[in-house]
Amino acid sequence: MSFQSRLICLAGGLALVAGAAFAADSDTARLTKDPKNWAMQAGSMDNHRYSELKQINSKNAKNLTVAWTFSTGVLRGHEGGPLVIGDTMYLHSPFPNKVFAIALEDQSIRWKYEPKQDPTVIPVMCCDTVNRGLAYANGKIFLQQADTTLVALDAKTGNELWKVKVGDPKLGETTTNTPHVFKDKILTGISGGEFGVRGRITAHDINTGKVLWKAYSTGPDNELIVDPNKTMTWTDGKMAPIGANSSLKTWQGDQWKLGGGTTWGWYSYDPALNMVYYGTGNPSTWNPRQRPGDNKWSMTIFARDLDTGMAKWVYQMTPHDEWDYDGVNEMILADIKVKGQPRKALVHFDRNGFAYTMDRVSGELLVAEKYDPVVNWATHIDMKSGRPQVVAKYSTDKNGPDVNTKGVCPSALGTKDQQPASFSPKTGLFYVPTNHVCMDYEPFQIEYTAGQPYVGSTLSMYAAPNSHGGMGNFIAWDAGTGKMVWSKPERFSVWSGALSTAGDVVFYGTLEGYLKAVDLNGKELWKFKTPSGIIGNVTTWEYKGKQYVGVLSGIGGWAGIGLAAGLTKGTEGLGAVGGYKDLAKYTELGGVLTVFALPDR
Amino acid sequence: MKPSRLLPLLPTLLLPLSTAPAAAPAVQVDDFPTSGRVEYVLECMQKHDGKYEYLYKCSCVVDRIAKTLRYDDYVAMSVALRNQSLAGERGGEFRDEASVRNMASKYKEIEAGANKACAVPQR
Repeated sequence: MSFQSRLICLAGGLALVAGAAFAADSDTARLTKDPKNWAMQAGSMDNHRYSELKQINSKNAKNLTVAWTFSTGVLRGHEGGPLVIGDTMYLHSPFPNKVFAIALEDQSIRWKYEPKQDPTVIPVMCCDTVNRGLAYANGKIFLQQADTTLVALDAKTGNELWKVKVGDPKLGETTTNTPHVFKDKILTGISGGEFGVRGRITAHDINTGKVLWKAYSTGPDNELIVDPNKTMTWTDGKMAPIGANSSLKTWQGDQWKLGGGTTWGWYSYDPALNMVYYGTGNPSTWNPRQRPGDNKWSMTIFARDLDTGMAKWVYQMTPHDEWDYDGVNEMILADIKVKGQPRKALVHFDRNGFAYTMDRVSGELLVAEKYDPVVNWATHIDMKSGRPQVVAKYSTDKNGPDVNTKGVCPSALGTKDQQPASFSPKTGLFYVPTNHVCMDYEPFQIEYTAGQPYVGSTLSMYAAPNSHGGMGNFIAWDAGTGKMVWSKPERFSVWSGALSTAGDVVFYGTLEGYLKAVDLNGKELWKFKTPSGIIGNVTTWEYKGKQYVGVLSGIGGWAGIGLAAGLTKGTEGLGAVGGYKDLAKYTELGGVLTVFALPDR
Repeated sequence: MKPSRLLPLLPTLLLPLSTAPAAAPAVQVDDFPTSGRVEYVLECMQKHDGKYEYLYKCSCVVDRIAKTLRYDDYVAMSVALRNQSLAGERGGEFRDEASVRNMASKYKEIEAGANKACAVPQR
């Protein structure tokens, strides 16, 4: 640990006692080390989505039963998952972004918070009004609202402590991802790649919300927070500086100002290196002819110093994107053997169908292989240049506007969208929820209007042809060799976040609403049908000696029965169920968190 | 490295859907779990203002569906129908793919037939 970090740790302890306005280290990392908790959305700062808990194991998982359920009162797509710290669960909802503090003892609601937001933010959210969850640090719960407000609440009472606005919905800017607590800072992203939003990440002080630094994805070097001579990228088989104006040179005129490169994914942090890792989204517009050039630094993996924001290295995965293969998916930090050599690796399952293994210290490109064999828009990644070798007939740019480019795999939703994979340090493998879908894509000319969609293409999706006929797979992947270990076909795409445990069980949810448990060979151990399709992330925790697994159901659109059961106040007409007035204290109609445990003996 | 193993799951699941006409049941499995039937009945009752008589009528419907479809197929097909109107790009998963659209319309046909037989008005 560096002298500076040690100083901050000591000072942090003093600051908490004295209540001084000193940027104290957060207690989040420490809390994540206790497997009874689930103290951040990914479980830990390395994005593993792994638990040491093993009460539930591959032999008894088949006995899992429902312990309790909780309804959020919102009928929209439910991404993310709960936080559990000690005896309290903190749960969020899609717009209007309610927050609940729930007592694990009896599932009563300790407090509830609902921000007032202008509903005109809804039409500028491209892809349902999702929210990927809360963050916690130092007795505060953080909510990143759809309207870009970041608010800090007292975890005991739900009272507002501070709030800051990160963007402007009138420019099509919204926020959907979780805020990330790393060390003494909280980081926010931005959404709106379909609205010509200029992507960036912002670091705030945990105690006040004050902006400490802001790093853009496109534009001049000072706004990117890069050093032309020191920020490195994979070039011709080795690391080399990016040089001056690396972004500006790759856009025509002022197009970088509407450049996209949004940052709505899952970030990770290595405390030993003091580096934060994240990916950027698509360049704007979806019509590639309107933005010639590589469009840097859209579709890029960024590695930045947490304190200054300075980018140490970058790597652009899909230069001059023609298919909306956002690069925002989770950056998983794993110390694994790569091609026989131990490495501090970063593993990333990109929308573009390639699974990348990078050296997270240097930024070297180590492995880049297709994690679905049907991927066809590029034959391979040239390992010297790091560039995908695009196949002309699948190039929507080559074929041009108003031409339907057919049969491209994967579809715009990618081989994997935001739904996060899990890494098990026990097996050394990655468990990945995937889409097995191809598309026909037709770009068209579009003009920019602030706050209006800036998309410029229509598309039609279908199950990957000449395959098992389903639209998804759940796979196990070896990132050290770039090889699939096993692949379990699914009828529909798998849009839930995975979880792996020391009990040798891997969990994921399906669009039918099944929560599934598989063993380390991908064999199904158990499945349970929850009320609605699952796009949430499977989470586990322990309370009073019992291990629980929970996941949010709710895909948006018309809800299933569990979400509209009528088992609430004001349904006297539903004679079969009688009076359930007490339920009002516990539940509301809406997306459901279903919590499972093993039955008592 | 183990070779990838594809479980032969889907072809058998998809087969009855393409061959079963609405009138003659293709399978007589009746394998719906109780919770599955209860879920169906509750939602159906809710669509009919919670009136008590629909406890019996909706049970009649789900029992008929259960004699026609295996539970796993019923789940997939009803999900396909339910999400035809899912907004945006995500809805494409259910609307664009022909086999999913077919699942949705087959299920709609089966449910309509059961509703008629059990005197449940279409809602």
